[in-house]
Amino acid sequence: SLKQMAATKVPEVRDITRIERIGAHSHIRGLGLDDALEPRQVSQGMVGQLASRRAAGVILEMIKDGHIAGRAVLIAGQPGTGKTAIAMGIAQSLGPDTPFTALAGSEIFSLEMSKTEALSQAFRKAIGVRIKEETEIIEGEVVEIQIDRPATGTGAKVGKLTLKTTEMETIYDLGNKMIDSLSKEKVQAGDVITIDKATGKISKLGRSFTRARDYDAMGAQTQFVQCPEGELQKRKEVVHTVSLHEIDVINSRTQGFLALFSGDTGEIKSEVREQINAKVCEWREEGKAEIIPGVLFIDEVHMLDIECFSFLNRALESDLSPVLIMATNRGITRIRGTNYQSPHGIPIDLLDRLLIIATSPYNEKETRQILKIRCEEEDVELTEEAQTILTRIALETSLRYAIQLISTAALVCRKRKGTEVHVDDIKKVYALFLDEARSSQYMKEYQDSFLFNETRDLIHWFETCV
Amino acid sequence: MDPDSERVLQYLTEVEEAAEDVLATKQQIVDLDTKRNKNREALSALRNEFSDSEKVKVCFGNMFIKFPAAKTKEMIQRDQEQLDKEINDLRNGLKAKVNRLNEIQGKPELRGYSLTSLSADELKAVNSLLKR
Repeated sequence: SLKQMAATKVPEVRDITRIERIGAHSHIRGLGLDDALEPRQVSQGMVGQLASRRAAGVILEMIKDGHIAGRAVLIAGQPGTGKTAIAMGIAQSLGPDTPFTALAGSEIFSLEMSKTEALSQAFRKAIGVRIKEETEIIEGEVVEIQIDRPATGTGAKVGKLTLKTTEMETIYDLGNKMIDSLSKEKVQAGDVITIDKATGKISKLGRSFTRARDYDAMGAQTQFVQCPEGELQKRKEVVHTVSLHEIDVINSRTQGFLALFSGDTGEIKSEVREQINAKVCEWREEGKAEIIPGVLFIDEVHMLDIECFSFLNRALESDLSPVLIMATNRGITRIRGTNYQSPHGIPIDLLDRLLIIATSPYNEKETRQILKIRCEEEDVELTEEAQTILTRIALETSLRYAIQLISTAALVCRKRKGTEVHVDDIKKVYALFLDEARSSQYMKEYQDSFLFNETRDLIHWFETCV
Repeated sequence: MDPDSERVLQYLTEVEEAAEDVLATKQQIVDLDTKRNKNREALSALRNEFSDSEKVKVCFGNMFIKFPAAKTKEMIQRDQEQLDKEINDLRNGLKAKVNRLNEIQGKPELRGYSLTSLSADELKAVNSLLKR
């Protein structure tokens, strides 16, 4: 009947062809340091930048030991010198258990929430709370289920369930409720099941390997598992890591169903946050929770304005604060929201709290090495000459532009059914796509034919900004 | 034997002893749980098949003794409580032993291993986060 059909329906297979976009820093696997924190020249996708990587390594160790919660780091350097790469390297080395949140400075400007709310949420996403779930379960392979139905057809059913592990076997008397849930889960001899002692909830883990040959025809979705070992009644402990922001969200959900739909929470009331903080601190006192200060990475930090900076200053002093890593490519420039100039566009009082790591431009050998790594990452093969010319392009224009040329040249190469990218392919895309310098040159030459031609003003404006 | 190999041997002995300790505790838990389950079976048999006024045959070592059912039930129940407590103690002790084994093998300590678990109510509150 209908119920049976629903049960036998093959689960929907979702096989969406994965179109993987390759991120600009997808090749970074860590900071590339040895056990003594000495940077290797080329390792884990990192090239050069030895001093900054070593500095990042020291900070990494401090984060791991939990020594520098509530401190901040600034990575400063020219565009394309590996600032984001270093931050990614730190994130990769922290491992999956330490929360890492990354955002770009401009991301916090939105109509849905205020700047400080966006920053608060980012801060709280970067703080993990480790908690433990403990349950008593009965886990075993079903040897036999015997259910006696009363002859009259009505009245209480009684039954017996025999469970075993590799070490023991025992018989349980079954009440009405257990019989119902066993038949609802369609449990039969040969299944490996767990029963939650507190709630009586039954879960099927799969079929025992020893019963694999019982039936010739079995659904493809049948999963085979080993007969459990050890005692029947076990204590199961699971450690979870959740972020403070996630706890905030479930506790502010009662305020509106909107949150459930969009996954977007809007603003979270400060009372909710205070309550959560109090609860989490109470758990920590009771030994029920561990707080893991993670890392919040703000790229392009010069995009923040004076309000945000003053918020950061205060937020860093909270005892539930992550390590803040910021990156900027600006020199002495105006602080947004003010008329004052300051190094990196960051107010002096905040700068004073920062550990500053500088990155410097890559030399020719390093540039070549990075391009080679990117080629491997994007699965593109280059001839020796093509590599040389690409390196030259990178040095004369920018590393980012050269990296862009890799995949475009590969397309051209594929079009002519080649397997290796030649110099000609690179020349072709170099002619097709302008780099920044040639683009400005072009604009200057043809400025009269552009709409809203205010080049001179524009250039003037640029100069005052930068 | 030169001092180096003696030190290695001593270290390996230490690891083996710690590992043996863990295994022995685990086996002990299994044995106690077997006994607990047998007791449970006996209790349900007493409940279903005998009335409290009857006398039942109880096996002590290699001898059967006739005993009042009510008294027997009480005895087994007390035994069960004792077993529950013992198993619990062994499990708690097992943690320290596993930690020690990890430590002398130079492995990192298990994360969150020594946390106290959240209560049922608290778990319910954060449940939607955990079932991901």
